[in-house]
Amino acid sequence: MAFSKLYDSAQAAVADIPDGATILVGGVSGVNAPEGLLSALADRGVRDLTCVCDSNYYGAEALHRLVSAGCVSRIISPAPFTGRSDDPVHELWRAGTMTVDVVPWGTLAERMRSAGAGIGGVFLPVGIGTRFAEGRETRMVNGVECVFEAPLRGDFALIRAACADGVGNLAYEGPQRGWNSAVVSAARVAIAEVDQVVEPGGIDPELVITPGIFVNRIVQSSSVPVG
Amino acid sequence: MTLERLDAQSVARRAAAEIAPGSVVAVSGAWAVAAADLVPEEKGVWFLRAGGTLSDLPINAADAGAALRGGHVDLSILTAAQVDSHGSFAGYHAADYPGPQGHAGLVDLASGARRVIAALPHIREDGTPNVVSALSFPQDGARCVDTIITDVAVFRVADDGLILTEVAPGWSAEEVRAITGAPVSVSPNLRDMDFDLPPGRPPSKVYADGPGAIADLPDGATVFIDGFGGPGGMAHYLLVSLRDRGSRNLTIVSNTAGIARVVSFGTPPGRTAIDHSVLVENGQVAKAIASFPVSPSVSRPSEFELAYRRGEVDLELVPQGTLAERLRAGGAGIEAFYTPTGAGTLIAEGKESRVIDGREYILEHGLRADFALIRAHQADTRGNLVYRGTSRNFNAVMAPAARVTVVEVDEIVQPGELDPEAVVTPGIFVQRIVRRPDGFTGYE
Amino acid sequence: MTDDKERLDRAIIAMRVAKELPAGSCVNLGIGIPTLVSMFVDDESVVFYHSESGVLNCGPLADEGSEDIDLINAGGQFLQSVPGMAYFSSVEAFAMIRGGHVDVTVLGAHQVSATGDLANWMLPERGVGNIGGAMDLAAGADKVIVAMEHNDRSGNPKVVQECNFPLTGRGCVSLIVTDVAVLEPTPDGMVLRETAPGWTPEEVQEVTGARLIIPDNIAEYEV
Repeated sequence: MAFSKLYDSAQAAVADIPDGATILVGGVSGVNAPEGLLSALADRGVRDLTCVCDSNYYGAEALHRLVSAGCVSRIISPAPFTGRSDDPVHELWRAGTMTVDVVPWGTLAERMRSAGAGIGGVFLPVGIGTRFAEGRETRMVNGVECVFEAPLRGDFALIRAACADGVGNLAYEGPQRGWNSAVVSAARVAIAEVDQVVEPGGIDPELVITPGIFVNRIVQSSSVPVG
Repeated sequence: MTLERLDAQSVARRAAAEIAPGSVVAVSGAWAVAAADLVPEEKGVWFLRAGGTLSDLPINAADAGAALRGGHVDLSILTAAQVDSHGSFAGYHAADYPGPQGHAGLVDLASGARRVIAALPHIREDGTPNVVSALSFPQDGARCVDTIITDVAVFRVADDGLILTEVAPGWSAEEVRAITGAPVSVSPNLRDMDFDLPPGRPPSKVYADGPGAIADLPDGATVFIDGFGGPGGMAHYLLVSLRDRGSRNLTIVSNTAGIARVVSFGTPPGRTAIDHSVLVENGQVAKAIASFPVSPSVSRPSEFELAYRRGEVDLELVPQGTLAERLRAGGAGIEAFYTPTGAGTLIAEGKESRVIDGREYILEHGLRADFALIRAHQADTRGNLVYRGTSRNFNAVMAPAARVTVVEVDEIVQPGELDPEAVVTPGIFVQRIVRRPDGFTGYE
Repeated sequence: MTDDKERLDRAIIAMRVAKELPAGSCVNLGIGIPTLVSMFVDDESVVFYHSESGVLNCGPLADEGSEDIDLINAGGQFLQSVPGMAYFSSVEAFAMIRGGHVDVTVLGAHQVSATGDLANWMLPERGVGNIGGAMDLAAGADKVIVAMEHNDRSGNPKVVQECNFPLTGRGCVSLIVTDVAVLEPTPDGMVLRETAPGWTPEEVQEVTGARLIIPDNIAEYEV
């Protein structure tokens, strides 16, 4: 095949993520996250990443590793702090080397959806009367007070899925779908770490959740040394 | 204080007592999740969790947010840190989540649901009340909580403050008041906490036939109809039922306005498909909102085009992707959005335009309808739908955007029979289910 | 003078367009000449076809007798079921288009202007028309290629200085392949890139409504 989306290793798949890139990371609270890709990125010692993710809770070890390795200078998330004393994000934030943007999760997902869908921005009735609407562009639309939310684009999306076929169609397993399928379309380059790679036709077309058009690179997780 | 406060499980039981059969409930925080776990499956309740599940269905996080904003969630139960007497609440202790913004985990649940219940400990370990006149922690929702459930009491939030409606066993109104940080009036019907789940089961969504399923579709209604253009994905049986019912002055929102009959679009050789023309020739259509409203062949005009030329129907022409996006917005609680499609064309006339990142966009608004008449392959009795092939098209987009979505399917199965990974339209978006009768083909 | 000059047939136009599709790209083909393009893409290129009816990686048309109403393309034609397909809703189909995930779209046109304005959804004399997915494709696809006959049935040029038909999109066309030439609309005007065998740049200009910018190195139409 002259053209293939399949990469030999996580290292190869993340090799061109530059300093300063914005990465969109799948998984919720570190569960169903692309751990192999995040580890490979931490090993590379990339600097100054902006990391968009669901949350920084217990279990987000791969993310913590990336943060502790000094790769990340900004986090955009509904919950960037763990609320615990050993939180590496909290520590860096206190030291002034980490910027934190807090965004309600539905709004964050919708902003990425806008980016992936070519929408220039949306008016959402979310967070009115809270600090998340303060100082923002608001307007009444159809009698409803709304906040303008701009698209949020990434350079790379790093996601986890259960299965990919050779053309990049993805299927997930259960809650794996939630945040992984939400971030995948919003980046210039989407990299999927999957448990299984099958031939085209190996996924029932009715069960494809992320069509291959959104997926640029595939890495099989067994080729990923976890650590 | 010697009186005993309720344990977490009892508070969860009291919260679960607020959950009506068949309702859609978003839960966040330990007490709320515990409440969800107490509701038996036969109650047919849907539980939405932020990470991306709707009961047993996995869903995309953007769709989870959309379900909340789109008015599809009847109730949010959230574990709060503080609530004030106006029903504004703080989700978290500021010390745990520092910085100017802290933690945003509960904002969507508070903004989107029709009703919000806050569950929280009445006081903190040091005795500081959590039910207060003014919040000291960052506010996550403004005037949205209508019921407060604590480990000693239940309050209703009224326009002029808190009304104590229930107390934990052994507690008096005065004892509750003494540890509450806001003025409290006592309901004349004050009683002990009620821990019983509401009785009954959700009403069935399955209707015996098409006419019965649309018997209340009124004159002047806006109706979503049509799959893509051909017979695949079109709810022919419901369409014929609507013709027979005769509702008039309808606005139909559809990709086409009926072209299959005249140009055999997507139609097997030798067949003539039923399409919107049956409504148009019966004089029921006042207006179509469509992207492909007329026949691609000038010499074979459709019923709609003929009526349009006679001045009997109005037409709002919408690019296909904008139509899909306006429908999604209607179901997803997006009041308006900017799209680059149609900028600098006739479509942009009279619309706000805006340059974003050097590119021109136009403002479009969400579309909602009274009824959607959609077509799927299978439904379970909860209303979960699977489609076949390209017949998913607009059907899946329309379902969440109508007040009443009626689906016509080939087969109705029991809950659990559809693979949760294969469900495209969750049942929260489907109100009525009809099976296409045996022998009904969709062709004339 | 150019009336009886030989023009290329539709298949050759499609063949020339096929050369513009990079390996691994995602392509949406419109109705008419564009549909023919897929016949001329070699297997090595691994082009992914997108149809706004809600299917990706779709393959050839179905054989007679095996038509499935639940598997059609955007033109209402029946498709074969092939390995690697994915189904999705209309909202996703257009998210792919507007979001820039479709690399190339090939469309027909009534008119294209010197700066790449496209008019392809309504003939003014009809007074009503179908937009379908055309405006989204024009606005969203990374590259919009127009494949069409150079002149309409009455001989009127379809490559014009300014469109006088209702627009589908402004400045969106990046390449035009016709039966006499390959042209590139630019902010400075219409650049002639290639001519059909036997055609001089001057002869192409004669049947074209836009003023052509004629560079020194005009290639012959290569397929």
